[in-house]
Amino acid sequence: MSAMTDKRKHYAICKAADLPPGQRIIADLDGRSVGVFNVNGEYHALHNRCPHAAGTLCMGPVTGTTLPTEHGAREFVYGSEGHILRCAWHGWEFEIETGKCLIDAKVRAKTFKVSVENDQVVVHI
Amino acid sequence: MIDCDVHNDWSSSNVLLPYIDTTFRDYLLRGELPGARGSFPHAHRPWLHPEDFRRHDIKPTNDDEHYSFMRENLLDRYKPDVAILTGEEALEVSTLANPHYASALASAYNNWVIDTWLPRDDRFWASIIIAPQDPQGAAAEIRRLGSHPRVVQVLASHGSYRPYGDKFYDPIWQACSEVGLPFAVHLGGQGGINYQPIGGGPTTYYWETHALLLQPSMTHVASVISNGIFERYPNMMFVVIECGVTWLPSILWRLDANWKALRKETPWVKRLPSEYARDHIRMSTQPLEEAANKQHLWDVLAAMDGENMLMFASDYPHWDFDAPDDMQLPKEWLPKIMDGNARQVYKKLPRQLVPNDTKAGVMS
Repeated sequence: MSAMTDKRKHYAICKAADLPPGQRIIADLDGRSVGVFNVNGEYHALHNRCPHAAGTLCMGPVTGTTLPTEHGAREFVYGSEGHILRCAWHGWEFEIETGKCLIDAKVRAKTFKVSVENDQVVVHI
Repeated sequence: MIDCDVHNDWSSSNVLLPYIDTTFRDYLLRGELPGARGSFPHAHRPWLHPEDFRRHDIKPTNDDEHYSFMRENLLDRYKPDVAILTGEEALEVSTLANPHYASALASAYNNWVIDTWLPRDDRFWASIIIAPQDPQGAAAEIRRLGSHPRVVQVLASHGSYRPYGDKFYDPIWQACSEVGLPFAVHLGGQGGINYQPIGGGPTTYYWETHALLLQPSMTHVASVISNGIFERYPNMMFVVIECGVTWLPSILWRLDANWKALRKETPWVKRLPSEYARDHIRMSTQPLEEAANKQHLWDVLAAMDGENMLMFASDYPHWDFDAPDDMQLPKEWLPKIMDGNARQVYKKLPRQLVPNDTKAGVMS
């Protein structure tokens, strides 16, 4: 979608330098609470409302998690460090980039496009 | 709307120092604690939530913030008329071997909640916590504070030394009955002298265990009915908080069937166990079981007369919090579950004002 046809509203959140890797900002965008995350230099935005029970998703820890093991192996392989958001209420885990819930990919947190324009982090809603 | 399980936490157990008996003040001030200075001297449970049992959007750092966060995230957001405070760590006094220290800590908590929490908000009503391993001390505490106008129930952990219908606890039931307060058990106290929280031996993981921790509440329901508590204390209500609910019909069916054949073992039990439960036992909703097919859940709840047996609770601010505006229950049951049933159990609460054009929540 080109900028010419993008009918979404654009919200400047902050200067890019003010949102370094591993950090987040939660912003109120015309009454909609949105979390903007810097994951390894890429910006991602998620609705701060968990699809499970409407909790404050974006206020939970950004973390890694244990990866699924095969054939019931009782071992711990830690991964996805910095890519997982745990909802602040009930702890359901979501992939920040896609909004996919780790226990059921059909459960999706709403994501928004983010761009950097004139050194500003901009969320498109 | 009445929220039957709201945790008024502290930032340090040192808040109890001005409220505890001088002998035990020294224990709390200088004695060994299971965590850092300011932690509570319980004999801690073996299962620890891997991500903390509190919600991550609520991080108070001092006692005033415990209240201001609660006001913002629960009281002003969902607007309950009543929030029944259930404490937090103080419930764990039940795990201590020294009954004198346990009762002193319980009394200190009760003094603290009355002195510092109740004046903060006119929606607050208090539970007083007792140390059930000290039945005589607990009874004295119930008589000391039972007539306080804002104290609505007597609370102990569901993790226990003996089943609560056991003769050992007669002084507690006697005192509750005298002051006219319900006796409630809340999930907790699974450690220390309460050494059998899980039948079959200790489970391994937190989430696995959390689904099973309700087991002692089954024991208590069977125990209080078979021991004739409600025959001896016909004014008593027994409240089960945070222990799940859908297991109740199954246990009552089994108790009913057994009693029909073996009534002679307990001649003081005059009615079907399920009838005592209907008249004397209430359960808080949270964490309400989440069935893939909502109708399956509702069928089980109907089998236990959920409309009349259940009382709403949020369990604020814990990780398995149930929001009052998102309860997966039949709409027509909500007036009683969200409000009316609790007003019948907690008789000091004001009667609900009901518009003339609706019968919702009307008390009999």
